[in-house]
Amino acid sequence: MSASLLILIPLLPLIGFLINGIGFRRVPKGAVGVIGSLAALGSFAVSVAVLSAFKAAGSEPQVVSLFDWITVGNLNIPFSFQIDQLSLLMLMIVTGVGSLIHIYSIGYMKHDEGFGKFFAFLNLFLFFMLLLVMGSNYVIMFIGWEGVGLCSYLLIGFWNTNTNYNNAARKAFIMNRIGDLGFLLGIFTIIATFGSVEYTEVFSQATGLSIGDPVVVTITLLLFVGAMGKSAQIPLFTWLPDAMAGPTPVSALIHAATMVTAGIYMVIRSNVLYSLAPFTLEVISIVGIATVLLAASIGLLQNDIKKVLAYSTVSQLGYMFVALGVMAYSASMFHVITHAFFKALLFLGAGSVIHAMSDEQDIRSMGGLRKKLPITFLTFLIGTIAIAGIPPFAGFFSKDEILAHAYEHNKLLWALGVLGSLMTSFYMFRLLFLTFFGQFRGTHEQEHHLHESPAAMTIPLVILAIFSAVGGFMGVPEALGGTHQLAEFMSPLYEGARQVNPEAFAATTLSHSEEFMLMGISVAAALIAAIAAYVMYVSRNSVPAPDTAERSSLERLVYNKYYVDELYNGVFVKPIAGLSNLLYSFGEFFIDLIVLGTGRLVKGVSGQLRQTQTGSVGYYIFAMVVGIVAILFWNLLIR
Amino acid sequence: MLSDFGTIFLFILAAVALVSMMLGMARLLRPNNPNEEKLSTYESGEEPLGNANVQFNVRFYVVALIFVLFDVELIFLFPWAVVFGNEDLIQQTNGQWGWFALAEMTVFVGILVLGLAYAWAKGYLDWVRPEPKTPHVDSPVPTSLYQQVNEKYKKS
Amino acid sequence: MYPIILLSVLGIVVLFLGFMKSKNILLPATLLFLALALGSNFIDWNQGPLLYFYGMFSVTNLTLAFNAIVLISAFLIVAMTRGFQDDEEAQPAEYYGIMLFSLVGAIMIIGYEHLIIFFVGIEILSVAMYILTGSDKRNLRSNEASLKYFLMGAFATGIMLFGIALLYGATGAFSLTGIRGFVSTAAGAQSYILYAGLLLLLIGMLFKVSAAPFHFWTPDVYDGAPSIFTTFMSTIVKTAGFAAIFRLLSHSFAGIYDFWYITLAVITVLTLFVGNVVAVYQDSFKRMMAYSSISHAGYLLIALTALTAQTERSILFYSMAYSVATISAFGVLMLIAKEKSLDGRPNESYDAFNGLAKQNPLLAFVLTVSMLSLAGIPLTAGFWGKFFVFSSAADRGLIWMLVVAVLMSAVGIYYYFRVVIASYMKEGNTGKIRVAPFYQIVLVAATVITILFGLAPGFFEQLL
Repeated sequence: MSASLLILIPLLPLIGFLINGIGFRRVPKGAVGVIGSLAALGSFAVSVAVLSAFKAAGSEPQVVSLFDWITVGNLNIPFSFQIDQLSLLMLMIVTGVGSLIHIYSIGYMKHDEGFGKFFAFLNLFLFFMLLLVMGSNYVIMFIGWEGVGLCSYLLIGFWNTNTNYNNAARKAFIMNRIGDLGFLLGIFTIIATFGSVEYTEVFSQATGLSIGDPVVVTITLLLFVGAMGKSAQIPLFTWLPDAMAGPTPVSALIHAATMVTAGIYMVIRSNVLYSLAPFTLEVISIVGIATVLLAASIGLLQNDIKKVLAYSTVSQLGYMFVALGVMAYSASMFHVITHAFFKALLFLGAGSVIHAMSDEQDIRSMGGLRKKLPITFLTFLIGTIAIAGIPPFAGFFSKDEILAHAYEHNKLLWALGVLGSLMTSFYMFRLLFLTFFGQFRGTHEQEHHLHESPAAMTIPLVILAIFSAVGGFMGVPEALGGTHQLAEFMSPLYEGARQVNPEAFAATTLSHSEEFMLMGISVAAALIAAIAAYVMYVSRNSVPAPDTAERSSLERLVYNKYYVDELYNGVFVKPIAGLSNLLYSFGEFFIDLIVLGTGRLVKGVSGQLRQTQTGSVGYYIFAMVVGIVAILFWNLLIR
Repeated sequence: MLSDFGTIFLFILAAVALVSMMLGMARLLRPNNPNEEKLSTYESGEEPLGNANVQFNVRFYVVALIFVLFDVELIFLFPWAVVFGNEDLIQQTNGQWGWFALAEMTVFVGILVLGLAYAWAKGYLDWVRPEPKTPHVDSPVPTSLYQQVNEKYKKS
Repeated sequence: MYPIILLSVLGIVVLFLGFMKSKNILLPATLLFLALALGSNFIDWNQGPLLYFYGMFSVTNLTLAFNAIVLISAFLIVAMTRGFQDDEEAQPAEYYGIMLFSLVGAIMIIGYEHLIIFFVGIEILSVAMYILTGSDKRNLRSNEASLKYFLMGAFATGIMLFGIALLYGATGAFSLTGIRGFVSTAAGAQSYILYAGLLLLLIGMLFKVSAAPFHFWTPDVYDGAPSIFTTFMSTIVKTAGFAAIFRLLSHSFAGIYDFWYITLAVITVLTLFVGNVVAVYQDSFKRMMAYSSISHAGYLLIALTALTAQTERSILFYSMAYSVATISAFGVLMLIAKEKSLDGRPNESYDAFNGLAKQNPLLAFVLTVSMLSLAGIPLTAGFWGKFFVFSSAADRGLIWMLVVAVLMSAVGIYYYFRVVIASYMKEGNTGKIRVAPFYQIVLVAATVITILFGLAPGFFEQLL
């Protein structure tokens, strides 16, 4: 595998960015989309070639050094790429899903003024994301990390004439910077501890340390702070729902499929360090499961189609962290992959709906769209089933694997996970039913305008739907008579971790019957939630409200059935609604309070300090004299 | 033999004697005819008493600055002269020392001369810079008309 | 050494060129002279450590590199001074001459080996700056700034001179080597006169690079001075000043690191805090840049406080990154402030930048790159500057200082991005600004340097 081939992968999107960025307003509109998409497709093709070469060469990880980059003292940071199982998987997701979303954007953004700008930013994002996953050391990863943050900022605020959108963009950037602070400190600690930032070097040194070493715990916690910001975990998650202000393809690419999984990538990449720090892992799994439940419960009540998906993304990311917390790194990666498929699909489907509805995003004004948008409906249905975890679609396998590992680790964790998956299934089906079933509730004009999206948009939907349907078969659990190809493929990554913490990688102790039971429970939970959603939003909608009419006894019986519903409503839905509202306001307000409060504090202090600049020379010199006296006094008399 | 301090003492004595002699002779020779102007501290016209917050003409400072520059130059020349004339150094270097020291001082004085020339050319040494200002009015009335009017009413 | 002589002579030549009828020759002549000085600077390159002027001035590759930064910055700044000729009252020949003379001072304090040379150098530099600050004669604020700067500068000079005198009293030496010899003795390391001398001298130097609490002159002076000279002050004086402090501490006082580092660390944190936090509240871009220069002094002080083997290179790289970004930021500011002048005065508020990206994408891009670099966003030279500085602090184990610095750099994002947001996302009319080709070359060159060193900081290492 030659270096020139590798360098093409990030280079192609960069070239695309340069052409579209510099030639903005000069490149003809038709060419812009083609150039942008070709750049993405090209790097996808190269990635595939690299993958096959990698497999042919016996799956040996290698570091391809491009040039010597920075040398400070005895710290040497080369600019090099590392090709191994993990980076290849991420490459496939980033370029593959990325290409589809580029193609989709040609249709979706056709009428937008900033078409060229959009593609330029999208290509720039791909470039940074590829740097992030291909870099062979933490510094390159950090550059990619910051770069994708910048692109995310630019794309969230893409429609920059709207102040709210700009605020959302700024919120995202600032919250990410808080996370980056942790990441950066983590990198500095790594430099101070290991004297290098190269993965291979750091990890081989780390294998010499003992489990629970405080330095490693510090490093991993600091790095995890970075991951919390980028992957939207409690308490840094509120930017992600706000980030939905960006165009929908951006939400699909950056805020669902790729960028937000960077935190997970980073943890898996550092699995040796994390395996050495059980305390950090505990923290990760607690934060993860709390995020799952919080986000899922908030998702139950949202009425904006993209907000529901955003909270669902947060909650699914929580699952991935739960998996990391129980050291099921492969399961986490598996979920990253399947999630990339179905969440990109759902977002693109939502985009298609929004496109058809003339930019309406409220599901209360939709309904009955399945006849008008058949392809969108079908693909959206597949995505919903996949995320709900109903076999044999992709989400089932990955989520089930996570839950099985959680069960093995801690039964409570598992139970909460199942509760989360129950809620997931409920709100996703609620979304599906309200959008595609029943009567159309929008304005007449919107109804007239309804149309299926163009082929550029539906083809990516279909491709993603196929992957969402069959993607799970790359990791069929042994209990179902399959082989877990993904886990086998990834297993060389954990050599170091296995060496330092062999117990964590012992073979599963679960018997097949237990595994079947677990699967049964989670599938049942998903199905029950789906049925409940059906009853509430389809059946009930089909019968007109019976409050006013005088009824026969038979009708009253039917009516009584609704008493049961009301009862359920009163006992379950209302409290959950209340809780959901409470948690929502807690999350939004309390956390915004901290973030905004810090900003206010800085401004307040600034305003006070500014008063010291009076403009009077006498005062200035007095301040200087005080300073001089203080310095002399302290140094010469007190010490 | 006198010590060094003795020399200084003699010097002071001589100075006092000289000043008293000069003033005494002046007293004898000059007509005594005082008036207010003559008794003021600065006969040049500057008021010695008054508000300290008055604005001086800025050119005082310019001239003072240039003066200080040359004053300092002069002071620098004294120690230089001692080293320049040091016979030991001249003998040791076969006479080259003198040329070297002279060249150094030429550079130094040369730069100052250039500075003086610059200040001169810029007009900073002119006390009153000529600024002839003829009031000019764009009047629709031609000048000849005024002259005619003047001529007309000249006699009365 | 050669640039000192060359610049002194050529400065006089520039003064006399001012007598020619056509003022148009001044700019190209000055640029030519600066290029000559830059070329002569490298005569001593790789000649090893050399001593000139009876051991009072030293030349190493490092001081030559600092000289190069100063001279290149001066070249870029002078290239942007096209406006002088249009102004009747201005004295372009004198401005150019003074700038050349001030560079002599800067080079002297970069390579001094003897405290007298240092003092003479810093006075040449400072007096030149006092004059340039007040060069906008009809602007009251410029006059005020100049007088303030002079008064406070004179005060600081007094303190500094007192420090030098005490050092001489304690050690009997003016030369850095002599002082180091004394410090390395047992008695020297305990001498309180030495301590007092060092502290006073440091205070004087810190005043010149505007470290808190000796920074008060900075905002007023930077704000009042004509923008072109603000640029000059905030790049060249700062670079040279830090080179001088580094020289003093590393050559003479490394032996008593434990004595001075705490004081310096407290000043560093204070500087970072004041610079960044107060910058948040400013409405004028130029005033914000003044506070930003205080905060960058803070980052540079981190490297000084750490004083590791890499410190010299960290300071070198940081000064380079900072100077280039500052020059391009001020370059854009000057164009816009002139274009959108209010009541005949340049408009230097953030609002002046509204809608810049629409009509002048090049200027907006240059501005954005320089802001990113100042804020320390990766892939710009500024990021690596901060990275090197921070990593040298991490080497010393000054983690608490590092935390403050990183937090403060997060605050920095806020005010640096305000102008980017104004130029890209706010509506406004800047009009099509005509940029002279020479000016354009400077801006593009500064931007290219920022990006180039951001992509490959190792390249810079290879240059040394």
